[in-house]
This record gives sequence, C-alpha cells and structure tokens, in this order.
Amino acid sequence: MSEPIVSINDLHLSLVGGAGPVNILCGIDLTVSQGETISIVGPSGAGKTTLLMALSGLERPSSGRVRVAGVELGDADEDQLARFRRRHIGIVFQSFHLVPTMTALENVALPLEFAGRPDALEQAAIALEATGLADRVAHFPGQLSGGEQQRVALARAFVARPSLILADEPTGNLDRETGQKVIQLLFDLQADIGTTLLLVTHDPQLAGRCQRSLRMADGLLSPDDGSGR
Amino acid sequence: MSEPALLRQAVRLARRELRSGLRGFGVFLACLFLGVFAISAIGSFTAAAKTGLLEDASALLGGDLEIRRVHRPLSPAQQEFLDARGRRSEVIELRSMAGNPERDLRVLVEVKAVDEAYPLYGELRSDPAQPVSRALQQRGALVEAALLQRLELQIGDPLQLGDISLRINGIIKLEPDRQLRAFYLGPRLLVSRASLEASGLLRPGSLVTYRSRLWLSDPEQAEPVVQQLEEAFPEAGWRLRTWRQAAPRVRNVIDRLGANLTLLGLCALLIGGLGVSGAVRGYLGGKVMHIATLKCLGATGRTVLGAYLLQVLLLGGLGTGAGLLTGAALPYLLEWGLGERLPIPLHPAFYPEVLAKAALFGLLIALLFSLKELGIARRIPPAMLFRGYAETGHKDPGSKIWLAIAVTALLLAALAIFSSADRRLAGWFILGGTLCFLAFRQLASGLVGLSRRLPRPVNPSLRLGLANIHRRGSPATSVLFSLGLGLTALVMIALVQANLNDLVSDTLPEQAPAFYFLDIQPDQVHAFEKRLANLPAVQQVQLYPTLRGRITAINGVPVEQAKIAPNVQWAVRGDRFLSYAANQPDSAQLSAGRWWPAQGNGKAQLSLTADLAKGFGVQIGDTLTVNVLGRSITAEIANLRIVDWSTLELNFALLFSPGVLENAPQTYLAAVHVPATGGNRVYRTITGEFPNISAISTREVLVNVARTLNRLGIAFKAMAAVALLSGFLVLAGTVSADQHRRIHDAVIFKVCGATRRNILLAFAAEFTLLGLAAGALSSVTGSLAAFGILKGPMDIRFSLHPPVVLTTLGIGLLLTLLLGLLGTWKALGQKPAGYLRDE
Repeated sequence: MSEPIVSINDLHLSLVGGAGPVNILCGIDLTVSQGETISIVGPSGAGKTTLLMALSGLERPSSGRVRVAGVELGDADEDQLARFRRRHIGIVFQSFHLVPTMTALENVALPLEFAGRPDALEQAAIALEATGLADRVAHFPGQLSGGEQQRVALARAFVARPSLILADEPTGNLDRETGQKVIQLLFDLQADIGTTLLLVTHDPQLAGRCQRSLRMADGLLSPDDGSGR
Repeated sequence: MSEPALLRQAVRLARRELRSGLRGFGVFLACLFLGVFAISAIGSFTAAAKTGLLEDASALLGGDLEIRRVHRPLSPAQQEFLDARGRRSEVIELRSMAGNPERDLRVLVEVKAVDEAYPLYGELRSDPAQPVSRALQQRGALVEAALLQRLELQIGDPLQLGDISLRINGIIKLEPDRQLRAFYLGPRLLVSRASLEASGLLRPGSLVTYRSRLWLSDPEQAEPVVQQLEEAFPEAGWRLRTWRQAAPRVRNVIDRLGANLTLLGLCALLIGGLGVSGAVRGYLGGKVMHIATLKCLGATGRTVLGAYLLQVLLLGGLGTGAGLLTGAALPYLLEWGLGERLPIPLHPAFYPEVLAKAALFGLLIALLFSLKELGIARRIPPAMLFRGYAETGHKDPGSKIWLAIAVTALLLAALAIFSSADRRLAGWFILGGTLCFLAFRQLASGLVGLSRRLPRPVNPSLRLGLANIHRRGSPATSVLFSLGLGLTALVMIALVQANLNDLVSDTLPEQAPAFYFLDIQPDQVHAFEKRLANLPAVQQVQLYPTLRGRITAINGVPVEQAKIAPNVQWAVRGDRFLSYAANQPDSAQLSAGRWWPAQGNGKAQLSLTADLAKGFGVQIGDTLTVNVLGRSITAEIANLRIVDWSTLELNFALLFSPGVLENAPQTYLAAVHVPATGGNRVYRTITGEFPNISAISTREVLVNVARTLNRLGIAFKAMAAVALLSGFLVLAGTVSADQHRRIHDAVIFKVCGATRRNILLAFAAEFTLLGLAAGALSSVTGSLAAFGILKGPMDIRFSLHPPVVLTTLGIGLLLTLLLGLLGTWKALGQKPAGYLRDE
C-alpha cells in the first residue's frame, strides 16, 4: 500500500488572543489516502479552517506531527513551506481571494509562475477553459460574478495539478444554484486529475458526496455519524 | 435644501469625521509643511535682510551721502561746498602689499585710511576695545584676524606697509561701513590718513578710491544736496549715492536670489501637491462605503463635497500654519545663532505680506490637488453598497470641478508671477513647470504602457515586478511623476553649479596668468621688466598702461537712457580699467574694422570688444564717451575684438588709439605667466623689491570665487533637496497608500507558493525599474532645464557632466529602492494565516 498523502498525529494548535491562549486543535489524528475525498463538517469555531491551514503549512502546529505528500511540515521553514505549497497544495477559499488588480488569466497563472514554468499563461488559459471561462481570461475579478470568481479560484487551485486540494466552504458566498455548479466543477476536476480533496462545509448534502465524512467539534476530529451534532 | 442648512450639515459631518484623528494625513501635512516652510523661510529671510539693509543704510554707506571718486580726492572748492552742508569724513581705499618685516611674508591687503570723523554712523568694534582714533594714532593699525594668521603676527607686532612700519593695535570685529561684497582680494588693514600718506603708496595714477561721506542733520536732505552737487560740478566724474541707495547691488542680488529660491520652493510645493492628492485619494478611497451609506440615507453630493472640502481646508490650514511659523522663525534663529558673523544685517520680524503669500500658496496647492478627488467622491453612487468588487463609480469629477481646478490653477500662477521680484522668470517657471508636469504625466503613462507591451521576462520575480508597474491601480505613474520632478530639480541645480564651477576652475592651469601685478609706476616699468627677465620661471609677461574711466554715453546718449543688453550692463555700472596700444595685441582677433596706424591718425579712436558692441548696439564709426579723471573723451569705434574672458588673459574692454591718454596719470598692469612650481619665488621677489606693487594671485581669486559660488550653491541645493524630499514624501505616501494591496497580494502569492525571496525580488524589481525610468527621464529634463538656464539668462557655456548626472541619479535610485522596500517590508513579513482569518 502506498504512503498516505496526509498523516497527522496528535496535532495541537493554540492561538494567542486578547484574552490569552485559545486551544483550537486539541489532538487531531488523521490519515488520508491518495485520491480520497473527505468532508469535514462541524459548528463555526470548531477548528475546521485552522486544520486546513495547518495542512497547507500556513499555520504552525503547537505540537504533534503533520506530514503531507511526504513532507514533514513541522521541520520546514517558511520558504520551504512556500515551495511545498506550490508543488503539492491547491486552496479554494470561501471568499475567493483573487488578486483584484490581476486578470483572471494572471490570477490562475500565479502558482505556475512561482514554480518557474515558462508555459504558465498557456496552462492557465487551458485551466480557465476547463472551468468554462475561456471568454473571461482578460477580465478583472471586479468584472466577474461571484460564481465566476470562484471558478477562477478553482482553476488557480487545480492548475498546477497538486496532490491535495483544500476547499474551505467554497460555496459559502454563492447562491444554491451557482454553488451546485461550482461543486460539480470541483468534483469533476478532482476526478480528472485524481487528486485528494479535503472539503470543509456546513452543507450535509455536499458532505455526503465525499467518500468519507468527518466531524470537527471542540478541536477534535471524529467520524461523522450524520446526526448533525 | 437652503445653503445655510447645507453648510451646517457639512460642518457637522466634517466635525464627526475628524474625530477619528489625522490618521492617513501624515504625508498630506508633511508635504504642505515642507513646501510652505521653504517659501515662508526664503521670504522671511529676504524681507529681514532687506529691512536690515535699509535700517543700517546710513551706517553701511558710511554717511547720509557718499561721493566716490577714483584717483583724485575732492578739490578744496568741493570740500568747502560739502562742509557748508554737513559733517564730512574722508576715507581712502586701495590695495597694497603688507608684510611681516621679521619673516619674508607678504600678502595683498585692502587698505582703508580714515580721518578723525570716522565713522559718521555706527561704531567700529575692535579687540581689545578702544576708540578708532586712539588705535590708529602714531602709525597704529587695526587688522582683520585673517591677516595675523597669514603673516604669522600678533597684536603688538610691527607690520610693513609701503615705506613705513605700522604697529598692530587690535583686531577688527565689526566694521560698520563694510562693503557688502561677495569676496575680498585680501584682509582689511585700517590705518590713519597720516600713516597712508607717509607710506608712499599714494602716487599719481595709483588705483586709489576716495570716499567722501557727509552726515546731514536731516537725512531727507541727501537728494537735494546731490542735485546741488551735480549742478555745481557737472564734470566732476564722481559717483554720488544717498543712504537710500546703499548697497543697491546687494539688495538686487537678495531680490533675485529670493525670487529664484522661492520658485524652487514652489517647485517643492507643487511636487508636494502630488502627496496631497494621493493622501486625499487614499482617505476618500477608504470612505467610499461610508459616503455611499450617507447618500443612501439622503445626503446630497454637495453635502458630501462640502464636508470633505472643509476637512481638506482645515488640514491644509494646519500644515500651512506649521510651515509658516517654522519659516518665519528662520531669520530669528539665524540672528540668534550667527549674529555678527552674518554677511548682512538681519532684521527678524513677522512680515505679514510674506506670510500671507506663503499661506496662499499652501492653501491653493491643497485645493488644486484635492479638488479632483473631492469631485469624484461627490459622485460616488449609493448603489456601491450592493456590489462587492464593483468599480468605485465615476473617475471624472464633473465639469464644475474641472472649472474650479482651472480657476485655482490660474490663481496660483497669477500669485506666483505677481508676487515675484522677477516676473519674467516666474512666468518662464510657470510655463516650464506646466510643460514638465504634462511631459512627465505623458511619459509616465507611456512608460506604463510600454511595460505592458514588453516581452515577458523569464524570471518570475522580474515578471511580477514588471506586471506590478502596469497593473490597474498601480502607483507607478504617481511614483514616476513625483520622483521624476524632484530629481529633475536636483539634476538641474547640480548641472548649473557644475557648469559655474567650470568657469572658475577649468581654464586656470592652461591659459591663465599666475599673477597680476598692479600699480607699477611708469618709472618702475624698466626695472620691473628687467627683474622679471632674470627670473627663469617667468614664461610670458603682458604689460599695459592702465587708467580708470567710466563709460558715460553711447553715441551721445547718456548710459542711463541708452538701451543696453542685461549681459553687458556691468560695463557701464562703474569705473573700468582702460588702456591704449599702438600695435594690435598678439592675442587680439578683429571681427570688424581695422587696426589704426602705430603712430595714430590724430583722431581719438578705440577698439571695443565684440560682446560689448553687440550689447550696446553699436558699430564701427559709432562713438563712446568715457570720463577719465573728470575729463570726457569721445572716441570713435575703429574696430571690434573677439575676447574670450574666460581665459583670464589680460584684456581690456576698451583700448584707445595712441595720442589720447598718454599724458594722463597712469600706472602699469602686468599679467605674468609662471608654472605652479615657480610662482612663490616670483611673488616674493617682486613684492619684496617693489613694495608699492600689489600682487594678485589668480589661483587665490579663483578659489575665492569658487567658495562664493559654492556658498550660493548650498542655498540652491538645499531648495532642490527640499523639492526632492517632497518627491520622496510623495513616494512614501504612495507606497503607504498601496500597502493594503501589497499585503493582500503578498498573502495570496504565499498561498500560491511564493517564497519571501520571490516577493522581495518582485517588489525590488518594480522599484528598481521605476527608479531607473524616473532617473532616465529626469536626467533629460534636468539637463534641458539647466541648458535653458545657462544658455538663456546666464549666457554661459553648457557642458553635460555625466558623473554629476549619474551620481545624482544613483542616489535617487538607491533611495527609491530603499524607501520602496521599507514600505513593503510589512507586506513581506505578513503571516498569511492571520490575514486570511481576519478577512
């Protein structure tokens, strides 16, 4: 059996707020195989987004081990983490996080440009075409609808064909119909390149589309029994 | 809604808005402060200096009235005439060599011999303190401290002057009637008239200036006395000045310097205007949603405009006020810090006219550069609230605002022109400044467009840096604009100064004589020439008889009424050296006419330099009238000579034909070429053996001139530095206003896998490209401006000094890069997780 793409052991993460340290993740253990689709559900403030950030190297664990795509994230410095992300990770945010002063094409090309790929723009155009935005390449985010912006964000997340896609409530800012289209696209792209998907959502129906569903509560992860608790 | 209600609403809104403090207005305030400070400081200093000169006018002139004449003292009839009208004091001035009799040391000194009545006004202060008459009695002398240093003497030591030995009784601390000149040929030596007469230096034809001063019981009578003198002695050949005309050249220079420096200050203020505009744009940009909300709740565009206009004016008043106060304090600080060491008397005070002018400049600039942004804010659509990334409405403030901008700009131009002592220059400045603004705007947009079309660099950081320049909302235009204008001012000033320095330093080693020897008596010429011939170091000697004379009429028209070009006005301002020659000098090249026969042709003829002929508008056959020792000589112009004054060779503007001046009292002037190594021996030998002959070292004079130029240069460079500082403030403001975007971009870049090096290199590439572009543009515009100044008003040869330009630009580039990266440092260090969580 091949090495799991994600392997987390006893992950703790505390953040220091105005009122002192807050324990967000309180001993997470998780193993994810390559190509698996997993949803994480749970109430607001449970630590779902923080877990995604820890998996992408954007947040450092207070203790415990995080290994993604064979990289020990706890040992890596900031620049090593940046290189790790450009090679292995694609992120989709609830609020898109596009660069407003760059066109759709330039936004999508960013990860490839940082990786030094000479064909960054060509690949970005192909990725945008795959998301149905071939006619929007020269548009700025402000000139696109919310659904279109999220499709650009999806193209950006998938363009480097990463081994792990982290999606943080990707339909949270979209209406139901647009959200469904975006989700369909997300799963289609995931299936096309066979990447692993970790999806944070409040939507039980969406969670149900994943192969495995986990529940996050009080900083702890457990299998989701579908009770909604 | 009625107007009072509108105003009340606007005031209320403005008051509430200002509760949040002055955050975001740092650059706005700093830019206005700096520009207004520069203008009010220059204005206050100029006014303080001019008032000081006028207050001390009689003391500076040495009396209520001064009669100045070269070569001859007043006749007994003239003395009698003056004594009937007031108290008279006689002062004699000449240059001579003074020496340390114990050591073989001699220097050129400015000798001044005074009588018992001196000084009529003010007080001569010396160390040790003593009355002048006592210090000078029995061959006593007072000297400037520099003389003691150079001759290695102390108070109480003997000092050789001509045939006599003087005793140094003290050091001059303050000379009330010191002549306000940019430089002296030597330190001052003050003696009594009796001492000077005993020294044997007062020989016929020696270059001696006699100043007769008159104290009047009513100074207002000075002009009537002048009139009476002119009527009683029409051919006296003197120069009369009343206390009202004291130090006219100094006042003129102060006016011109003030006008030029004020324009540079205005340049700083104009560049600062970009900072004002950026700050207002940034502030209103952060208020878009707020304004849209107000409009949803029923506020009209005019209420919004009124509220924010009030804030701008209030803050503008704050920055301007601070600049005014600091600027007005400068003369007080100078007086307090430097006191009597200042070359001119200062009268520090608050000059309302100066401050009102500076305040108006500040407020008009604040208005001019914020109106567009205010107009855009006025038109923010309330529907903005319902769009996410939507465009921020109109980018055009509307025709009324454009009209208001045009009116403000015209008011500013009118203020600049009509408040300047040199309106023509101010007019050219406004035109040049406007063209420069437009050119930079076009060039900046052109460069941004060019960066879009350039092939994409392979390096991702360079590609991102380049993309940053042409992306929407990029600060590139603003940076290029502000930095470019600041650097233009600096390159211009640096080049003008470098070219002025060329004038005094370039030519010396090649063609200039090492020494000029003055006051060689006719009976000494033979011995002098023989002595020089025995000195092996001497390469070449030019010797001419010289007299002093003043051009009084051109073609019979008095010079006061004649039309004379500004660049040759100097030739008619006072006495000039004249000479005569039978044969055409070797170095003379004729541009018109023919040289006269060696024995003369019985007519009074003269050879004039071509530049003077052009400036006087005269040709061969026209006449000039020259007053020599009270006698008017009218001579016909026989030929024109081309003279390059910058070679410093011995040349005369006016050379007479033989048979005209031979019988007048005269001395000889010699220019001696000596290599640098042999100069000392020639100097010591001649001044040692001929005590009455004065030696002027060309090198020392040029060093003196260069020092004066450098001192003036400091004032101009300081102003250009203020302009550049404004440019950097604008740059800092632009970078700071852009910081939010940069942080956002940096976070997204990091999420997409960019390392800190990638981001740093991208930002560095962006600022390097901008700095290089601004530098390249400014080197062209700054050089053009310097060329215009040097070839236009100054009429001086222009040469491009690549090292000067490159150094200036190198510093500009380095500072841009540093400042840019400093501003983006925060973006670089931003942790993505925290930022994304807060978003």
